[in-house]
Amino acid sequence: MEMETYIARISEARAGLRGLLRDCELPQIEMMLRNADMELHMALWNLGATVPLRPEAEYGVVHLVGDERR
Amino acid sequence: MNYIRADQQAATMAATPFTTGGMSVLGKTASESAFWNEYTETLPRERLDALHLQRLQAMVNYAYHCSPFYRSKFDACGLKPADIRSLDDFKRKVPLTDKSEFIEQQLAAPPYGPTLAMPEEFVAHHCETSGTTGKPLAIPYSMYDTVRYGESWAYGYWALGIRPSDTFYFAFGWGNFAGFWSAYWGARRLGCRVISGGGLDTKGHIQAIMRMRPTVLISTPTFALRLAAVAAEMGIDLSQSAIRYTYHAGEPGPTALPAMRAAIEEAWGAKSGELLGIAEIDALAPGCPNGDGVHVNEMNVFSWSMNPETGAEIADGEIGENIVTTYVNNAQPLLNYRSHDLVRRVMNCSCGRTWVKFQGSVLGRSDFMLTVRGTNVYQTAVENLIGEMPEVSNFYELVLTREDENDIMTIRFEPANAFLDKPEHWDDIAKRLSDRIHDALHVRLRATPVAPGSMPRYELKTKRIIDERPKQFRRALDR
Repeated sequence: MEMETYIARISEARAGLRGLLRDCELPQIEMMLRNADMELHMALWNLGATVPLRPEAEYGVVHLVGDERR
Repeated sequence: MNYIRADQQAATMAATPFTTGGMSVLGKTASESAFWNEYTETLPRERLDALHLQRLQAMVNYAYHCSPFYRSKFDACGLKPADIRSLDDFKRKVPLTDKSEFIEQQLAAPPYGPTLAMPEEFVAHHCETSGTTGKPLAIPYSMYDTVRYGESWAYGYWALGIRPSDTFYFAFGWGNFAGFWSAYWGARRLGCRVISGGGLDTKGHIQAIMRMRPTVLISTPTFALRLAAVAAEMGIDLSQSAIRYTYHAGEPGPTALPAMRAAIEEAWGAKSGELLGIAEIDALAPGCPNGDGVHVNEMNVFSWSMNPETGAEIADGEIGENIVTTYVNNAQPLLNYRSHDLVRRVMNCSCGRTWVKFQGSVLGRSDFMLTVRGTNVYQTAVENLIGEMPEVSNFYELVLTREDENDIMTIRFEPANAFLDKPEHWDDIAKRLSDRIHDALHVRLRATPVAPGSMPRYELKTKRIIDERPKQFRRALDR
């Protein structure tokens, strides 16, 4: 399989996981899905794909300097 | 949420065939690869550099927005993330960071102060530097950081020949030492069995290795030799153990010191490898399978070389200080970090990897480099020559003193076993060692024999450099 196709397929898998994560109500399963997404993010990173530094950034979870939640 | 019906589950499970025949951790094609990830380990330089630029821009942006330490550091020099448009921009515009800055900030607001770039609830593992150079640095890792850190080890394990069927033995007490926690994370990533030596003493480790028959030893290189020496006293030949690979970090080892590699491989009857790591950065450079250096993991870090005195970039092939940026410690990002490790970068290697190679691994320390009568003296160059003298044991120290405005290095050593009861030879051995170094390095170092058994034995990092110079001539953290 061409590397571009491979990267696209992994990206599709991540998109599917994100949908599941949005709807998840069970902490155990949410944690497992997050770990699965982390692994797929790392696979993309290690194939030289253009992805953000951290998968959380794609869920809108960021903690900025000055943010009181930090 | 609807529940799955029990009768549907039972039907599915009954229809699933189960067999252990032919099961393996990896498929056949992957198992036969000479690389952990051939695609990225052999990426062309132009592609690697393009990736680095993207990732460095992302790192600067992340550090600016998420790390209070870097926000104030960048603001102080007027740097904005958009200013980084090339690799040269990154090298020149992003200010250098030194360990001492981090430690000062952490001491003022422990444990991490403004160096932490994410909420503490994301910190999954706490480590500390070994503190051999002074005050320990606190290092937070997110869960993802630990996983990516472990991956760096996996590259090196695989290149040496270690496979998921191997069993690791960790010959050290765990503590907060990042070096071997990350080695453990790597063994887990590779799918290997792990046996912990935990709090056993040296003899206990040897007995455990003989009893449980692990195939991979993880230790500092000097402790591997210490284990072999104690085993010999116990009447045990470790070359007859099941160990087939030894893998090391924490101090100059088999890729930096050929004599040490030969000694370890002979004592253990095993193939010996090494990884260069910096606890707060990454296991950044796994060993080359050729055994003569380490390759920078260019998926995890960006590295360039600098003249430690002028700050100018050093050309490939020349010796300079490794300046490194980690992509994988996002809990505590480090950009343009001064490692103080002196390295010689080469861009080609017969092993096929395109990742930058540090020929001979770390050659010395910019803060321990001595200039004696105009000659730079590198620690590993001296250690290599000591290793070539069979009359000198592995127990030696390089002692730095100051006399008449000059740095002086004295080699304090215990003679080898064959000369333990022949003190009349010790001064002659010292003279020959001094002459050998003079012939090779064109500098005269003193050599002083000491009584066998009088030097400390270490389980983790062996302290080779003893700096007895006045405070103003020592590293800031050692004063």
